[in-house]
Amino acid sequence: MFYRRAGLRHTRYQDERQLFPLAFDRGLVLTVLAFLIAAPLLLDRLWLTGYLLPWLIWTSAALGLNLLMGWAGQIHLGYGAVMGIGAYAGVHLVRFGVPLEIAMIAGGIMSAGIGTVFGAAALRMKGIYLAMATLAMQFIVDFVISHNAAISGGTLATLQVPAVRFLGVPLTSDWATYYFALFVCFVITLFMLNVKRTSFGRALAALREKDYAAQILGVSTFRYKLMAFWVSSFIGGVVGTVLAVAYLRAVSPDQFHLELSIQILAMIIVGGLGSVLGPFFGTALILFAPIVLNNLLGSVAATFGLDLPIDMRAHLPLLAYGLLVIGFLLYEPLGLAKLYANFRNYMLVWPFRHAQR
Amino acid sequence: MSIDRRSFIAGTAAVAAQFGFASRVYAEDKIVRFTIAQDFTRIYTFVTSEYNQGQRDYFALVNERGGVGGYKIVADVTDHANDLPRAIEAYERGKREGAVLIDPLSTPVARALVPRALEDKINMITAYSGRSDAADGTAFPYVLPLSINYWTQAGLIIENFKKTEKGSLKGKKIVFVHIDTPFGKEPLSILQVLAQKEGFELLTFPYTPPGNDQSAIWPQVRRARPDFVIFWGAGVGQTVALTEAIRNGLPMDRVSSSVWLSESDMDVVGRDAAKGVMKVEPCVGGREPKVIKDILAEVVAKGKGAGPEAKVGTAYYNYGVQMGALMVEGVRLAAAKAPNGPVTGPWLNDGLRSITNFTAEGLLPPTTVTREDHQGGGMGRIARWDGAKFVPVTDWFAANQDVVWSEIKKNSETFKTTGK
Amino acid sequence: MDWMLIAELAVNGVFVGLMYALVSLGMVLIYKTSGIANLAQGAIAMTGGYVAWVLLAGLGAPVWLAIPGALVGMFAFGMLIERVALRRMIGQPVIMTIMLTLGIEIMLRGLLPGVFGASVKRLDIGIPQAPLFVADLLINRATLIGGGISLVLIVASLIFFNSRFGVVMRAVADDQTASWSVGIRVERAIAVAWGLGAVAATAAGILWGSTQGVDWSLSLLLIKALAIAILGGLDSIGGVLIAGVIVGVAESLATGVVDPLVGGGTRDIVAAVIILATLLFKPHGLFGREHIERV
Repeated sequence: MFYRRAGLRHTRYQDERQLFPLAFDRGLVLTVLAFLIAAPLLLDRLWLTGYLLPWLIWTSAALGLNLLMGWAGQIHLGYGAVMGIGAYAGVHLVRFGVPLEIAMIAGGIMSAGIGTVFGAAALRMKGIYLAMATLAMQFIVDFVISHNAAISGGTLATLQVPAVRFLGVPLTSDWATYYFALFVCFVITLFMLNVKRTSFGRALAALREKDYAAQILGVSTFRYKLMAFWVSSFIGGVVGTVLAVAYLRAVSPDQFHLELSIQILAMIIVGGLGSVLGPFFGTALILFAPIVLNNLLGSVAATFGLDLPIDMRAHLPLLAYGLLVIGFLLYEPLGLAKLYANFRNYMLVWPFRHAQR
Repeated sequence: MSIDRRSFIAGTAAVAAQFGFASRVYAEDKIVRFTIAQDFTRIYTFVTSEYNQGQRDYFALVNERGGVGGYKIVADVTDHANDLPRAIEAYERGKREGAVLIDPLSTPVARALVPRALEDKINMITAYSGRSDAADGTAFPYVLPLSINYWTQAGLIIENFKKTEKGSLKGKKIVFVHIDTPFGKEPLSILQVLAQKEGFELLTFPYTPPGNDQSAIWPQVRRARPDFVIFWGAGVGQTVALTEAIRNGLPMDRVSSSVWLSESDMDVVGRDAAKGVMKVEPCVGGREPKVIKDILAEVVAKGKGAGPEAKVGTAYYNYGVQMGALMVEGVRLAAAKAPNGPVTGPWLNDGLRSITNFTAEGLLPPTTVTREDHQGGGMGRIARWDGAKFVPVTDWFAANQDVVWSEIKKNSETFKTTGK
Repeated sequence: MDWMLIAELAVNGVFVGLMYALVSLGMVLIYKTSGIANLAQGAIAMTGGYVAWVLLAGLGAPVWLAIPGALVGMFAFGMLIERVALRRMIGQPVIMTIMLTLGIEIMLRGLLPGVFGASVKRLDIGIPQAPLFVADLLINRATLIGGGISLVLIVASLIFFNSRFGVVMRAVADDQTASWSVGIRVERAIAVAWGLGAVAATAAGILWGSTQGVDWSLSLLLIKALAIAILGGLDSIGGVLIAGVIVGVAESLATGVVDPLVGGGTRDIVAAVIILATLLFKPHGLFGREHIERV
């Protein structure tokens, strides 16, 4: 009934090629977009800066990593370090008085450059070995950042982000930072939606399935592996700058440790590898499940007088985080995006279930 | 996994349930709300549960006695896991629910919250964490350490060494073993200045965080034949440092650390082996102080304690009580100035910044917080482990505050000019 | 340059490296039979430490009973992990199994401190702390004993792999399908490998727990274990022994020699650089078997 396909007749090629051929999907996407644009008017600050803003930023990062892992099939355990490079490069440039628009791009290029150097390891190895190489990158980058006072910012190792403007709008109010993050996330999402349909995207898919086979078919693995690392790290660097400017507002080395890398990895695993929708769901679950669980436990403890020891209460969200990752891998390896696809298939013919193939 | 009707309904119900609980409304109006969002699960695990227990027990004591200045204290405890999104969410949630104070007890979180707290005029307590230069109240009006920062602690330790050496450290060798993080490197600048001033030789040895393996550091310390050793870390780094120091046969009575040393660390190291080691005490330890006795009698005895009774009176528990007492004293003074509120950040800020000579019935050194000095005077004392408890070896004293304050000013000036 | 210091650091580095190698031993056992890199190894070591602590301090069992008890319990735990989680992942891409073990790591790090409390626990297995001097060299008793035990266990697993069941496990490592066809119970061999991996991790957890106390930070042993496993070759037990000594000595010397030059704790960086250098120049490690891929 919903997501109706009946009566859909494409008479022009561009109709058939559009991103969302189903009218209902189009409507749904536009509704969500309209809601996100109107959010500063509808929601109070807790929801805006406490939930929507981090959700948009982390989703952007997860999309960047998904390009590398979901599309090109290359493992990366050091994506947090990639973001850190971008954040530090961007913030330093902004502090020198470079406009944010240029600093963002420069941060991206910096990340892309260093990320690709480490990514070059992928030319020689894959699987677990590549995972280890990127893990080593995480530690080396962490060390370099925190041990250069010139990079990390003196004895207190904190870099304050000065007041900046983006396209002429000062990023000081909540709604300005929110729209900034929304804009970046929108651009990255659009890019990801389209990249699948380009020759680049198809080359990455070939690479993922079997790199030797791709090479035999004339897809240069050398070129596309490096390009995958380049593009993904570029997105990571840009998002790193956005994260620093719009959300953290003061960068210190411990914000880009292995925990961030694993968090983003968990987001795309739970969301769905190789899906554009997945990171949106995955980010929401990984970021907010601990918060919701924590608050839920708090209110349960308050209303029912249930007295869990504080250690147990505090560790339950971490336990749940681990269980979520394990549970999804065991029972739904394609993640929340697949669950949504199942739901969509169900609703496609609802209530005439017998029509389902 | 395919979706059938039952799981669809269950899923919808679960989503709906999550939005239901978000807005809890409290009917009483005379309350002061604190957001106690701390790290129970990642980095600060060694201190948080005891610190938090002390805080909550003290609030319970105050509420049992009918509140302070007509107000009851409501403390919302959550875990932010040293994770910024979670901390910022807790902060924003607290703000929406009318919290006027947040105590994150985590350096990274405190640093990220500084600009927000200053903008929103929410009091942020950064006891033994956060930026050391927040002691400068003119630059950070809403960031209140209310406790001796690491620079002051280093100053106190050096002063005590000087006393041991009968007034002169000239030609002595002091080794500083520290965790290799911004927190561990913080005292370096002060120590270097003091080395120049007092004429001692300073050797520094960084170890990799979190410091569970320092076996290659301490032989070097031993071979340097130091007169004194300062070790600086937290959690597991402290116990390992102490164990290695013992194994290397360093004289324990010439080894000192910051405030981060507690009875449970001594249990890990071995109570007898660690005999003689010194630490900085920012408040009285043990169950002797009147406040702790009151908590035992009026809160714990009635079964309302926030945690295991055995932890009452441990070092970190008392730090929690200390900070709780200072917060409540702030509320009392604020309520005395403006009894009918409204309860806002500036209202409490006014109270917190006019704390004068407060000792919480003998728990803390006389603490005076002013608009300029958020450190509270910089008094502490040195205590020595005697195998069963920490025994003070000095009275409350302040030392080297001129050096400390020039460092504070230097950093807060940069924050003022470039930070915003 | 102080040669005595260098010598002392090197000697201690050997023993510390052997203690790290014990953690990697478990990883290698598991990788060798099932081809899965177990990133939960550090957390399993932590679990072992907690179990030993519960038996020793919680239930008051004597040391000679508590440690074997913990080892047996953890053997079962390792088999359980394999049975419940990893067996269902056969045929999935590498990234999925890596992520699954990471998930197990996160879960264990939430479960054990949650149940038993987050503060550091003392695990006293009766190693005296008094300094031990050989000439002017200080030998750390705890690492000496720990390294010794670790050496014994590694040699024991080398011998084990030459026993009847060891041959079975080697066959499984070589070719699972072929092993099946000659009647080897491949699942059982893999489960036993997981059990033994958990036992090695537990031994490491107890040894490290007795030197540093038991808390979540035991799970950080993973990084060192990875460096050693990669350097030695992920499927070589002998490699673990050699690589453990190399990593231990390199780290120890780096702390003594490089730290003053760069002004920072280089210990973890040494591990990372070793991983990276090994992967760049000899991806399968010093003694690992070259993996030939057929298209």
